[in-house]
Amino acid sequence: MTDIICPLCGKPNPPELEECRYCQAPLNVSGFLAPSDQEGQENPFILSPDEPDQADSQVIKSESTSALEQSIPDWLKNTEANFLEETEAKPERQAPDDISEQIDSLLSQPSTPDNVTQPAIDDDWLASLLAEAGGESSPLSSQGALLGDIEEPVNENIPQPFIEEPFKAKGVLPPTPVEKPDWLTGLEASSKIKLEGEITPSEGIDQGAGITESIESIETGSMEIPDWIGKIEPEEISSNLEEPASQIAPAELPGWLEALRPEDNVPATEPVEDLSAADIVTAGPLAGLRGVIGARPSAIRARKPPTYSIKLRVTDEQRARVEMMEALLADEQKPKPLPSQPALTSRNIFRLVIAAALILPIAWMIITGSQRVPTPQPGDVPGVIDFTQQVQALPTGLPVLLAFDYEAGFSGEMNLAVSTLITQLAIKNAFMTLVTTIPSGPAMAESLINSSVGLDGNQGSYSYYTNLGYIPGGTMGLVGLALSPKSVLPYSLDGIKVWASAPLDAISTINDFSAVIVLTNDPDTARSWIEQVGPTLKIDGTPLLIITSSQAEPLIRPYYEANPSQVQGMVTSLAGGLAYGLSVGNSQQNGEWDAFSISITASVLIILIGSISRAALKIPITGKKKES
Amino acid sequence: MLERISQLADPIGAIIGFTLTIMVLSYLIGDNIFFRLAVSVFIGVASGYAAVLILYNVIWHQVLVPVFQVISTGKTDDLITYATHVLPAVVLGIWMLTKVSPRLSRGGTPVLAFLTGVGAATVIAGAVRGTIFPQVGASANLLNIQTGPDELSKLVGWFINGVIILVGTVTTLIYFKFGIKRQEEGVPVQHSVILEYLSTAGQGFIVITLGVFFAGVYIATLTALIDRIQFLWDVIIGFF
Repeated sequence: MTDIICPLCGKPNPPELEECRYCQAPLNVSGFLAPSDQEGQENPFILSPDEPDQADSQVIKSESTSALEQSIPDWLKNTEANFLEETEAKPERQAPDDISEQIDSLLSQPSTPDNVTQPAIDDDWLASLLAEAGGESSPLSSQGALLGDIEEPVNENIPQPFIEEPFKAKGVLPPTPVEKPDWLTGLEASSKIKLEGEITPSEGIDQGAGITESIESIETGSMEIPDWIGKIEPEEISSNLEEPASQIAPAELPGWLEALRPEDNVPATEPVEDLSAADIVTAGPLAGLRGVIGARPSAIRARKPPTYSIKLRVTDEQRARVEMMEALLADEQKPKPLPSQPALTSRNIFRLVIAAALILPIAWMIITGSQRVPTPQPGDVPGVIDFTQQVQALPTGLPVLLAFDYEAGFSGEMNLAVSTLITQLAIKNAFMTLVTTIPSGPAMAESLINSSVGLDGNQGSYSYYTNLGYIPGGTMGLVGLALSPKSVLPYSLDGIKVWASAPLDAISTINDFSAVIVLTNDPDTARSWIEQVGPTLKIDGTPLLIITSSQAEPLIRPYYEANPSQVQGMVTSLAGGLAYGLSVGNSQQNGEWDAFSISITASVLIILIGSISRAALKIPITGKKKES
Repeated sequence: MLERISQLADPIGAIIGFTLTIMVLSYLIGDNIFFRLAVSVFIGVASGYAAVLILYNVIWHQVLVPVFQVISTGKTDDLITYATHVLPAVVLGIWMLTKVSPRLSRGGTPVLAFLTGVGAATVIAGAVRGTIFPQVGASANLLNIQTGPDELSKLVGWFINGVIILVGTVTTLIYFKFGIKRQEEGVPVQHSVILEYLSTAGQGFIVITLGVFFAGVYIATLTALIDRIQFLWDVIIGFF
């Protein structure tokens, strides 16, 4: 009866099954048939159904119709067939020549005791190789089996081996092992299939008897034996062999080694590494093996690399596309002129209409010099009265620090208040010390001083001042100015060391000025003066006054309205300048306030008309969207 | 000759100013070469003036002139003052010039770090001393009856004004509170209802504040326009 070996799990199956009854893998596709027992001999390739324990040790034979077998090269098939033939023919070729007999007599195993069961040979071809190499497996292999029994499946019928006690009992040293080739040793160690003729450890122990028999055979044989060998009695040899065993004390193993020693009654375990699901090598010298890395000689075969032409083969269509791409890239590098827009667009017209709506009323008010709009009173503009009172309270002839920190673009908004302030300071005969934290400040200060009216009523006649120029360092420069003005600005713009002469020779800190007046359009600049200089001024009660633009007023006003106030007076924008002028009796204006008023009115109207128009235009669009 | 030139300087300046003002106002008809030319002239003149001012006002008067004076007078006090006040700044300034070269730019990093650190410390200290503490104190005194007016009619307005400022300050600060309490998993994260309402009120105050800022900028710009038109008219009147 021929069973089919499952290619996947390796277990035998009846031939009538198409799928493995253990793993349900298809058997007729890649399964292997065990060779049939046609001759009635006990062939290791035949698996008897009543010997299931030996199923795992069967050598498989591939089915000729399977795809896997087709992929096996012919040389491997021939090799396998030769192995089979040799194995089958081996009992018939037991008539050795003389030399073979001698070798066999030297290497053959003694008869195995009855109580020792021979382990089944799983790999016949390996067994045949061993047989060819020198007979049965060597003691080395048996020892290797001993050491490797931990991972090897052990047949339960085989008594568990061990070494020491038999050696001790018989006092026989293990014979010299027969040398096997390295590749065979490695292959044998890596194979999980056990040899049928593998020698159990107990057999290996009996090698001493074999040696004795060999000596007897040598003694009685036809070989030329040296005389000294002939003089040796067998009893002496046996006694010599037994003496070392009796003299050698049994080794005392350390505890840890005893713990490592495998116990005798350890049940057989399954292989640690389950290779049943591993792939089968289908090509190369390892074809048919499972769980190994197949060699691919073709991958490492050295050969001359093929020669390829460097000329690019393109079709006409591809060439046309390449030319088109090149043309596109060439156009990208060329600058393209911007499309000219028409001069009169709706946007430009709208812009011109708004400009006209603002400029024309302003121009009309300025041309006519209208003063119909009432000028703002000092009490209506916050900070003006306090500012006026602080300036009026300044002592005559003492130095005042003036910080010109506004840009020329804001001169229209601030010049009115600044001119009025300079005139008031000139009346007080205050020594104006001009500083700035912006580069254009010195020029602005000089220009305003020269354009202001002096005590004699002439412009530019007031000369009781000094322009110290630009304070470098921004915020840090302000700190330095507050602590030591003469260190930060030692010279005036004229190159005069003003701190050495009166009235600045009495100035050591910024508190020594009678007042600090900051003229700025920038809220950050105003805040820097308040934060860095203000606390120092507060110590001695020196007033900090600010003239600022309308864009900085929302940020500065909290400092003025705080309680206690950090800014003692402020004048803001054109309205503040006019109110400050009124407070000191200067009501001069050339229509700026009327122009400002009408421009504000025009702006409000533009915003209203624009908002209403947009809403009127948007309502129908929204209605259409809702309808749709 | 010099007297005649000085008499002509003001009219020449007026003509240049008139021309540049017209060139800038030409932007009304769109971007054009006159506007660009005026802007370029302004940038160039402003940069040149700033460079000359710094060279003259800072480098010359604050760095070089003291050296000459020390050499000429030979006073030890001046030398000590210069060495302690000016020399460190000069050394740091020269050291800072390594930033010009890409190869040596890393060498100027310590100076830059020093400037940044000192600047930040100065600004923060000034803000704490000059803004935060005084403004917190002022807000606390908003409804202090002792600082209020004596007249009853003004007292009502003062009280309303103080309440509005206080509510605006508190709600604006609440608007900038973005932290929330950790919620259980699956519960939607949201502020408390009261905080939501107060935050909305603060948002309203912020919008009003931004509107006031915009109005201030617009008024400043409108005033500048009025000033330019006034200038143009003055120039025209002056020549005719």
